[in-house]
Amino acid sequence: MKAAPVFEQGDHRWWILHDQDEHRVIDSNVYVMESNAQSILLDPGGFEIFPQVFAAMVEVVQPSSLQAAFVSHQDPDIASSLPLWNACNGKIHWHIPKLWEGFIRHYGALDAHFVSIPDEGREFVIGGRKLEFIPAHYLHSSANFHVYDPEAKVFFSGDVGAALLPPGHSAWVDRRDTESSKAFDEHIQHAKFFHQRWMPSNEAKKDWITRVSQLDIDFLCPQHGAIYAGPNVQRFLNWFDALPVGTALSAKHA
Amino acid sequence: MEIQRIMTLVEASYQTRHIIEGALRDIDRRALNAMVLVKRHGNALAGYGVVARAFREGAADLKEAASHMQESMAPLIQAHMRILQHRSYAELFRRMRTEMAGKGLLCPTLGCTEEIWAQTIAAEESEALNTLYILIRAVNRIQEGIAEQEYVVTNGRIEAALSEDTGAPLTRVSRDMGNAVGIVRDAIRSYRNQLEELLHESGTGF
Repeated sequence: MKAAPVFEQGDHRWWILHDQDEHRVIDSNVYVMESNAQSILLDPGGFEIFPQVFAAMVEVVQPSSLQAAFVSHQDPDIASSLPLWNACNGKIHWHIPKLWEGFIRHYGALDAHFVSIPDEGREFVIGGRKLEFIPAHYLHSSANFHVYDPEAKVFFSGDVGAALLPPGHSAWVDRRDTESSKAFDEHIQHAKFFHQRWMPSNEAKKDWITRVSQLDIDFLCPQHGAIYAGPNVQRFLNWFDALPVGTALSAKHA
Repeated sequence: MEIQRIMTLVEASYQTRHIIEGALRDIDRRALNAMVLVKRHGNALAGYGVVARAFREGAADLKEAASHMQESMAPLIQAHMRILQHRSYAELFRRMRTEMAGKGLLCPTLGCTEEIWAQTIAAEESEALNTLYILIRAVNRIQEGIAEQEYVVTNGRIEAALSEDTGAPLTRVSRDMGNAVGIVRDAIRSYRNQLEELLHESGTGF
């Protein structure tokens, strides 16, 4: 697994940990944000890839700087590593959708310190910088959150923007010529099925797009696939807006 | 192995890597400064020129040795995290067997599964030990490189004393070189101690 910088300005940094070596489980990205030597892990990943994620994280931040972890929803690729992280550092505060707390406890670590995120979302300050936990319910999980860093203009979008890419993929949707949509058009083919099948609600999608379009975003960072930067962010929002989702239901009625 | 012991090593690995990266950049800069100084004074500092060149070459060797060390850190951390992961499985089966035994129930297959996990963990511990040896060898290479650099620094001090009449600030340059090498030496010595403690706790001495 590799660590690559997403954003860096003084003591404020974002990294992506990507391209895992274990291919029997779905490829997942983990993000780390550090501010003033305090860091937070976003969707720390599954039990099976924990050793890789941990080793890659140590490449970029001091392990003892890890104060918090954010869990966007309940899925195993998001948080089943929780008991292992907790064994390494029992001081981590786990920011978790309130609705899923009792479910996530099933992964183990009953003593882990959970901090609820209410349905309406909330703010969180780490190392003197504010992060916003933005509701993204039904995208795809019924209690789902994304994270926005208004200073870095980084938006962690969980499963939204996800793409199923082959091993060895880049951390980014090609950024060499963002004026052209060529790289985006090629990349988005890998995202189509994921969104059609895993995202259940067109209504939730529209609501999310309306809210997220009002944010100033330079980097849209999904938990699978590659990061959308610059003009590719708006391209993605337009593409997602036009894409019908919840296709299993329509296939059933067809 | 206690998880806290591993976490201490992980912290030390991170800190050592960062201290060494910074100090090696500094060494390289000092070596370059020395070469520029020599060039400015022409033949009068020819002796110190040899020292400056040797210091720069030594800095490049140290950089390479440090990159080998860094490459060996991640596999060791990963190996220990894998052991932690598998211990959690083994512990699950141990608890199940104990709870069942408390109720007077015996389940031999649980014991077998526990034994399979114990064997897996033992194999992984042996692999982690090999990785630790590789890391210690990489640390040895850095320590050899540091000894070489210290020898060059000593020669630099002698040359600086001999060239005092040129007016070039060679004594200060040599002192700065020595300080930069000293930072790497101390960091790597402390890291080596940590690795040796881990080796000792793994039940294997030198």
